[in-house]
Amino acid sequence: MDQAAAEALVLGFKYIGAGLAAIGVLGGGIGIGIVAGGAVEAMGRNPDATPTIQTNMILGLAFSEATAIYALAVALIILFAA
Amino acid sequence: MTTTHPRRIGFKRWIVIALMIVGGVLAFGVGGIFKPLSPVVVLPPEPVWPGLNIPFTSIPLSNTFLATLLADVVLLGFAFGAWRFSKSGNLVPRGLYNFFEWLVEFLWNMTESAAGKWARRIFPIMAAIFLLVFTANMVKLLPGFESFGWMKEAHAKGYEAVPLFGGLYALDASKPVDKTAEHGGEGEAAATAEHSGEAAPAGAEAEEFCTEACEVVPFLRATATDINFTFALAVSSVVMTQVFGVWALGMKYFGKFINTGTMISKPLFGVIDFAVGLLELISEFAKILSFGFRLFGNIFAGALLLSILGALTAVVVPSALYGLEFFVGIIQAYVFAMLTLVFMSQATVSHHGDDHSAERSASGGEHAAAH
Repeated sequence: MDQAAAEALVLGFKYIGAGLAAIGVLGGGIGIGIVAGGAVEAMGRNPDATPTIQTNMILGLAFSEATAIYALAVALIILFAA
Repeated sequence: MTTTHPRRIGFKRWIVIALMIVGGVLAFGVGGIFKPLSPVVVLPPEPVWPGLNIPFTSIPLSNTFLATLLADVVLLGFAFGAWRFSKSGNLVPRGLYNFFEWLVEFLWNMTESAAGKWARRIFPIMAAIFLLVFTANMVKLLPGFESFGWMKEAHAKGYEAVPLFGGLYALDASKPVDKTAEHGGEGEAAATAEHSGEAAPAGAEAEEFCTEACEVVPFLRATATDINFTFALAVSSVVMTQVFGVWALGMKYFGKFINTGTMISKPLFGVIDFAVGLLELISEFAKILSFGFRLFGNIFAGALLLSILGALTAVVVPSALYGLEFFVGIIQAYVFAMLTLVFMSQATVSHHGDDHSAERSASGGEHAAAH
């Protein structure tokens, strides 16, 4: 295999890897959905507790979103830094 | 309400619609330099001008750093304005000062409810983080960010530069240049040193002004798309958390990480507690990672989304996404500050059930001394 074909192959695998890494975003999406759903349900049951629930909801969103961001970071590193 | 006064037709909406139509026609009908460019995605920050360093150092002045300085200037200006208003003796808050008063009150209430008596010490750090990230995220929404810059010879794909007026150039999206097709790889970029602009700074590198395939290196780029900024903020936040922990609990704070307290009394659970302590130690470092990548990832992905969708649909969609970016900027600043606050107030409270005295004194009870 000549040099150019090998480079093209590596590039192709890079893109495949980045795409596979981005699958990790799935978990973050599910987590955010669960958090927001639970928070809205709680707010509906007890509207007076809305400020507390909102604060905790945003914290939960941040934590579950962090995992999705890890996947994004891995994908970006594969694409641009590795 | 149902009576006959004529329905007012706002004039401004016609201006907006006309601008949208003009933009669409320019972007997709006329083309040329008005055609939107597909973005160049660059992870590391780039220099503002080739060969321009931060004064008295040899570090290149990067475009994200310049944007941070801009955010600092804006923030200091607002702070000075608010300070001058508070000195003016005018007791009724008004305008921007009103906003600042609301903001500080909001942050202070949040801190006090989470941190108790440590609120006075934690508040400055957490509010500084919030204000800096918030201002940086708002400043990056200004038009001109990531679009004005100097031109660089592209390594692979670029566009032809078209002279406008006064030594300014624009990229022509309808004339893409693919160098890989002609040369088969990166090659003699340094050899084609033909300065097309007149303002070539001395001592700069040869490929600073492009000859055939050009790409723009922006003067300003969003602060949080620089991983150095987010990680510096994350490291200072986590280090200050440890400082507060030691401040509140003394050397007992490190017992959280190297937990040998229950090793003798309850051998089996002692080992588990020790392992949990090590996990706590790891989680401190994971905090730095998650802080840094969260802010970076959100803002970088937002910038990417804006530029890609801006290239695909020049007119209506980017405006809606700007609204989303506005929201994301506020939320991320809030999350960063809120998590800092929560971690710090957790660090000032002892975790163990068996030493209530430290916990009580941390949560503000004076009667704990009798314990």
